[in-house]
Amino acid sequence: MKDLKRFLSFVGKEFCHILRDTRTLMVLIAMPVIMIVLFGFALSTELKDVKIAVCDLSKDAASSEIMAKISASPYFKVSAYVNNAEEINRAFLKGEADAAIVFEDNFYQRVLHDGHAGIQIIADGTNTNTGTMSVVYLSNIIGGFIRELAEERAMDMQGETSAGNVPIRIDTSSHMLYNPQMKSAFNFVPGVMGMIFMLVSAMMTSVSIVREKERGTMEVLLVSPVKPFAVILAKTIPYFVVSAFNLIVIICLSVFLLKVPVSGSLLWLVAVTLLFILVSLSIGILISTLVSKQEIAILISGVVLMLPTMLLSGMLFPIESMPEALQWFSCLIPAKWYIESMKMIMIQGLGIRYCLEHVLILCGFLAATGGASIIKFKDRL
Amino acid sequence: MNYVEADSLCKSYGRNTALRGVSFDVAEGELFGIIGPDGAGKTSIFRILTTLILPDSGSGKVLGLDIIGDYREIRRHIGYMPGRFSLYQDLSVEENLRFFATLFGTTIEENYHLVKDIYRYIEPFADRKAGALSGGMKQKLALCCALIHKPEVLFLDEPTTGVDPVSRKEFWNMLKRLRDSGLSIIVSTPYMDEATLCDRIALIKNGKFMDTDTPQGIIGKFDFPLLAVNGPGMPALLRATREIPQVLSCYAFGNEHHVTMKDKGLSPDAAALIIRTALYAKGYGEVSIKAIEPNIEDCFMYFDTMEEKA
Repeated sequence: MKDLKRFLSFVGKEFCHILRDTRTLMVLIAMPVIMIVLFGFALSTELKDVKIAVCDLSKDAASSEIMAKISASPYFKVSAYVNNAEEINRAFLKGEADAAIVFEDNFYQRVLHDGHAGIQIIADGTNTNTGTMSVVYLSNIIGGFIRELAEERAMDMQGETSAGNVPIRIDTSSHMLYNPQMKSAFNFVPGVMGMIFMLVSAMMTSVSIVREKERGTMEVLLVSPVKPFAVILAKTIPYFVVSAFNLIVIICLSVFLLKVPVSGSLLWLVAVTLLFILVSLSIGILISTLVSKQEIAILISGVVLMLPTMLLSGMLFPIESMPEALQWFSCLIPAKWYIESMKMIMIQGLGIRYCLEHVLILCGFLAATGGASIIKFKDRL
Repeated sequence: MNYVEADSLCKSYGRNTALRGVSFDVAEGELFGIIGPDGAGKTSIFRILTTLILPDSGSGKVLGLDIIGDYREIRRHIGYMPGRFSLYQDLSVEENLRFFATLFGTTIEENYHLVKDIYRYIEPFADRKAGALSGGMKQKLALCCALIHKPEVLFLDEPTTGVDPVSRKEFWNMLKRLRDSGLSIIVSTPYMDEATLCDRIALIKNGKFMDTDTPQGIIGKFDFPLLAVNGPGMPALLRATREIPQVLSCYAFGNEHHVTMKDKGLSPDAAALIIRTALYAKGYGEVSIKAIEPNIEDCFMYFDTMEEKA
């Protein structure tokens, strides 16, 4: 009973620290919201004045009409006329074009006689959102043209009994430069989740424990009947609560503000996330047992945790396109497994059995870091 | 039974040796002072006896419990106030006290009588954040927090460093009252003038106790003639005095120089005459010289000089 009361007073004290430090509070509460909203806005940016380089090898009625439609739309403006692939590339590199459209020669002739012709759309894959959306919008405009053409021809052919009615097909082949996989833009929500829980649970926990060492309060706590590991455990509880709160905020924001649906089981999403939070907390404790300066704790969590989480977890760059050595290295990053499993559950709507491996690996991380911090933990200074 | 026993404690941090065999013991209800400059090893002694660090060699007992084997039990019965202010700056005065009371499984109400005399000084600021207190009040709060669980031995590492003279005086009065109530107290300080307030003291330098005795006992061992010299051009006067062959040592001490003579049998008047004549020959005509009683700092300097020569 006394032990419980003691433990609770510890937890209460820790909440006091968090609530009274505006900066900590900002990092813990405001940061996740800001990140989600920022990414959300980046995602929902309307296309406007996307610069189009035109490579019109046929220069006939059809290509002109398509180009007229494109120019007329508020999304695109024709910025350059080019004649070959090399010039297209140069336009991209100079920043004169965000996307390029190529009509093959004798475009209209092919449409009329062969019934199919080719248009190529090239978009800049480095700007993922603009790239995808440009391709979609351009394809729609071309599709509209095809429908109109088909209707015209249907009108022309009414009454005619010609058997040579050829259905029209225009092959729109789109090609992404620099980022051929074109990962779904929804992917950032799991990515941000991985980062936030790493930040809140691992970094903030390790910093708050190391702060006690640095300020000398740990000295006083150690010279007391409280089991030192209880001290550490009590410090993690508020951060667990804050992380759980952040999880609710993130899910609400992504579902209601960003319209990213939770396709799979919400229950499993929460369960796997709580597991990942535990892994992060345990990493935070491990860091705090190894260092005695707040700056070093921040540095370690920043360089050893956050940076690889951002770079190697597949949040920014697809893991599949990394060098093999880095792909192997990325397996050591817990966030990678978490983010992947979130993509499966949240975005792809897969059942838990598809990410069982990920869950087991996360459990392994939890056991390893938890065990290491118990071994490294000292009852003395 | 001795409440605290230390036997040839040694401790080094890498290449730095902090303690080179420190032994002492503290009886029940004794106020024991460890006096020495910064870096002498005072904090290491405290940390070893409060079970925070392990000695490289040597052993110690607190309340009859071994500092290495029974460290958990020791932690229940001692109060410790580290050299740095080690409370939560963002918690209020009362929150800090309440937290430390709960930590030891007690309440402020239950043990209020223990801290009442001290806490009443800071009670008007109970809602103030500990970080916003003055130096003296911080120390009083820290003492309250170290006392709230009714410890049997109190370890205070430099409790008066950085505290104003009035608060220092109040603080020492509190320590005496606590001692009178039966508590054993080990206190360290770099201030030599506080040494006489302890029952027994140890003079520490470079990780070694130079002497352990009552303040009077230590002063009694100083049997050289001691003079205070004062005059114009003090820094030059210091050098000139040190050059006199009969002088054992000479140290600046406030606004005068304390001069120890080599010849123990010399009367104060004879010693003064020697100094006056020698200084006159060096061109210092207008100096005032008077015989004085040694204080702890003179003893410290004397022990220090003796060790250096040996």
